[in-house]
Amino acid sequence: MKHSYLTALILIAVILVIGVGSQLLGIRLYDRIATNLLISLVLVVGLQTFMGNSGLLSFAHIGFMGLGAYTSAVLTIPAQMKGMALPDLYEFMKIVEVSPLLAMLAAGVLAAAVAAVVAYPLMRLSDAASVITSFALLVVLYTVMNNWSAFTNGPRTLFGLPKTTDMPIAAIVAGIVVIVALLFKESRTGKLLRASREDEVAAAALGANIPHLRWRAFILAAFIAGIGGALWGHFITSFAPKAFYLKETFLIITMLVIGGANTVTGAVAGTVLITVAYEGLRSTEGALNATSFGAGQVIGLTEIVLALAMIAVMILKPGGLFPNREIGHILTRARRKKEPAP
Amino acid sequence: MSETRLAVNDVSVEFTGLRALDHVSLSVLTGEVVGLIGPNGSGKTTLINAITGQVKLAGGTITAGDTRLSGLSPREIALQGVSRSFQIVRLFNTMTVLENVEAAALAKGASLAVATERAKGVLNELGLAAKVDELGESLSYGDKRRVEIARALAAEPRFLLLDEPAAGMNDAETETLLHTLSELPKTRGLGLLIIDHDMGLIMRLCHRLHVLATGRTIAEGDAAHVRSHPAVIEAYLGKGAVHA
Repeated sequence: MKHSYLTALILIAVILVIGVGSQLLGIRLYDRIATNLLISLVLVVGLQTFMGNSGLLSFAHIGFMGLGAYTSAVLTIPAQMKGMALPDLYEFMKIVEVSPLLAMLAAGVLAAAVAAVVAYPLMRLSDAASVITSFALLVVLYTVMNNWSAFTNGPRTLFGLPKTTDMPIAAIVAGIVVIVALLFKESRTGKLLRASREDEVAAAALGANIPHLRWRAFILAAFIAGIGGALWGHFITSFAPKAFYLKETFLIITMLVIGGANTVTGAVAGTVLITVAYEGLRSTEGALNATSFGAGQVIGLTEIVLALAMIAVMILKPGGLFPNREIGHILTRARRKKEPAP
Repeated sequence: MSETRLAVNDVSVEFTGLRALDHVSLSVLTGEVVGLIGPNGSGKTTLINAITGQVKLAGGTITAGDTRLSGLSPREIALQGVSRSFQIVRLFNTMTVLENVEAAALAKGASLAVATERAKGVLNELGLAAKVDELGESLSYGDKRRVEIARALAAEPRFLLLDEPAAGMNDAETETLLHTLSELPKTRGLGLLIIDHDMGLIMRLCHRLHVLATGRTIAEGDAAHVRSHPAVIEAYLGKGAVHA
């Protein structure tokens, strides 16, 4: 258990370094990148709670992020702006205006509630069937967001969210989410769920109620995704449903898989690594285009390099950078080996 | 402790046209060790799979005490106090040995603290205390088998079904295993049903033997009776061996 504290400590330190570092440099762009990174961290660690422990790939996560973002938007856009931002909104909701913190919690709860209802029958499925249904769920959530004009303003951009997310708030939420994920992993549900990930038949033969365990993890992941969506919404302040679809889904799955889905350390490492790579590649892309080096524009370099990186990691290190032990566990074992017991 | 009986009554199992078990009846009492032997393909593992709900019955019933097990899911059967090991080891590979064993106690409803304590106790009992922090996949074959037994024991079963627990173990390991297993019925009051090809182990460990061949019971009784039974000799050595 001791190594879990060490893991929590190290991961929180990483978050602090990102936060404080971006401020020390004093460049606005870095502040933005750091905040984005921390919000990604919330989403990726949230995805880890389900995917890492259950071993099931879920494409639906970003859909629940979208639900959270829209929930928080509807609850926080100032009443006088709602007529313009959400002209079709239901009458009784036009006067609702709550604090961003409360709205963020509501966003998590709504996403979790929707997940609880829609996912219950799906949790019996494993392997390819579960992947394809989670993908279908993403499509359903996206279609709903795209067409539920009253709540989301349809495919048009929704604007007017108060900008309440800044770097420190994102860092605090990310820190809490990391701790929750570590606690969940070591909880009764987490341990049994991981057992079912390793061997479904053996876990069932022990008496584990696998669909129910998965369901709990899925609800937790959706709750965190909803929180992450609200956080992001109040950072970006205007967005459309297409912000919650394939590109973003691919990005967070890449982060988690490259880092190592089975560990929270992996989720954090993958998010940091991919964010840095993403920003680096994007600026390279920009620089190349500015100098008009070679023939024509360089488009899609970032996506292609990230996709290749994912393939390379899958071949060379299929479990990701941190495949099964958390950083604290790795360090305590290394120290024990160095000085054997007297 | 009152005696309970795990009873297999007239059970048949069919796999698309093949009758894997044909009207087999067998019982195991708590505190008793029963050996299930027979040539390859005689239905031994299928019988364990039938008891634990991994295969469906084509006929017959299985009960533990007053509870009917046949028709329940593997999970429900486990919760009735029937634990098993697998012929091909099924550990939770990327979890530590301790977590592997804890999972069994957690599945039965133990709290985290109780599960850890119980797992450590069982691992000590099986001489695995030094391995608690190793990952399942990094163990030697013999250790994997022992962790699987530890995991089954951590569920505190009334009936323990072991499918070739000594396979892949060297002589010294088998000897230690024999000692551990022979203590279980006394210390834990459980009934043990064991499949193994190591006849030395089986003959010394079991109170009673049950012999299957091509899905049918061909003999049952104590070791001496079974060893001299013509049908058993024929099943193992072929026709004509009896008179040779």
